[in-house]
Amino acid sequence: MILIPIFALMLGAFLGFAFHAPAIPGAYGQYLAVACLAGFDTICGGIRAGLEDKFRQEVFITGFISNVIIASFLAWLGDQIQIDLFLAIAFVLGARLFTNLSLIRRYGLTKWQDARERRRLQAQAQTVASAQPEPNP
Amino acid sequence: MNPFVSRINKQSWVMPVSGMCLILGFMISLARVTQTTRSSRKNFLSPDQQVRVNEANVDIDAFQRMSNEVSKLQADKTRLEYSLASQGGQSKVLNDSLQEVKVFAGLTKVVGPGIVVTLRDSQKDNAGVSLNFGIPSDAIIHDVDVLKVVNELIASSAEAVSVNNHRVAGNTSFRCVGTTILVNDIKIASPVVIRAIGDSDTLLGAMNMRGGVLAEIRQTDPGMVQVESVKSQELPEFVGNTTRKFAKPPRVVK
Repeated sequence: MILIPIFALMLGAFLGFAFHAPAIPGAYGQYLAVACLAGFDTICGGIRAGLEDKFRQEVFITGFISNVIIASFLAWLGDQIQIDLFLAIAFVLGARLFTNLSLIRRYGLTKWQDARERRRLQAQAQTVASAQPEPNP
Repeated sequence: MNPFVSRINKQSWVMPVSGMCLILGFMISLARVTQTTRSSRKNFLSPDQQVRVNEANVDIDAFQRMSNEVSKLQADKTRLEYSLASQGGQSKVLNDSLQEVKVFAGLTKVVGPGIVVTLRDSQKDNAGVSLNFGIPSDAIIHDVDVLKVVNELIASSAEAVSVNNHRVAGNTSFRCVGTTILVNDIKIASPVVIRAIGDSDTLLGAMNMRGGVLAEIRQTDPGMVQVESVKSQELPEFVGNTTRKFAKPPRVVK
């Protein structure tokens, strides 16, 4: 299930290369890179919300668009006022990315451990059941 | 787990996330850095960063190896010429004149008294760097400054000149590329150390002449120029390209 977004990500990148979409030159390329970071953060947040059963589609999609726009706007603004605001964006979004990814990892790990524990208990219960003598008819 | 959340709702994050991942992948493919976008981004670096980018492009090891090779071959050639000369009087005369010519052409190391002129970019605050307004052009050392100083030194009877340990020979050029100066097509950066062998007093006088080549630079910032005389210094040989394609000596008609 988690593989579908990853495949979609690869497909998107592949489409960009396949159609020879020109790489954005100059400062706009950098703004787009910051926007990519924001988008990646939003997607990780979405996956996390999905795993927590709190996912709401409209929140996710508006969040994606607004984060992308705000991040690139801040990067642009930083260039206009000669302050590296994109460093602030990279810092905040990077920190959030790590939080989200670690939470996703924890959910996955817990799920996997639970499943293993359940299987172990089931196997134990089966061996106990088979070891017991058949009740007399 | 909340039993009131339906299974369909629970799965529903996959498709929106996948859709946005598709867009993100496309965005990443647009934001990638290629050879062309890299050079266009270089303009957004501050000048001191650009210097470092330019210097990173030079393969310093390869250059070092090649110039070592050239000086070794030059030394070998001189040794062979001397050994040839030791066999007979005629070849000795020939070799003497050959060595004379090589010193004149800058193909051997030379030792002698002279002066050292150091030019460096201004360290003053008001020469500060601003991306939007460009660098104040007077605050940095240009190829023209180096060219003028070398020209003035040669004009005031310097017998050998080197710039940052690159010997100035007959086909030496000084050129400006971006933020660096090329000497013999080799990049150098500030500070530029120009060494000249000759009569120290004459050379010092030429450098400190009122209204001379250095006067204009000193007006911007006296700290940009440093001139001192030395008792003895060694200048390296010319290790640049000496091959010719077109120029040939004319045939002697007997």
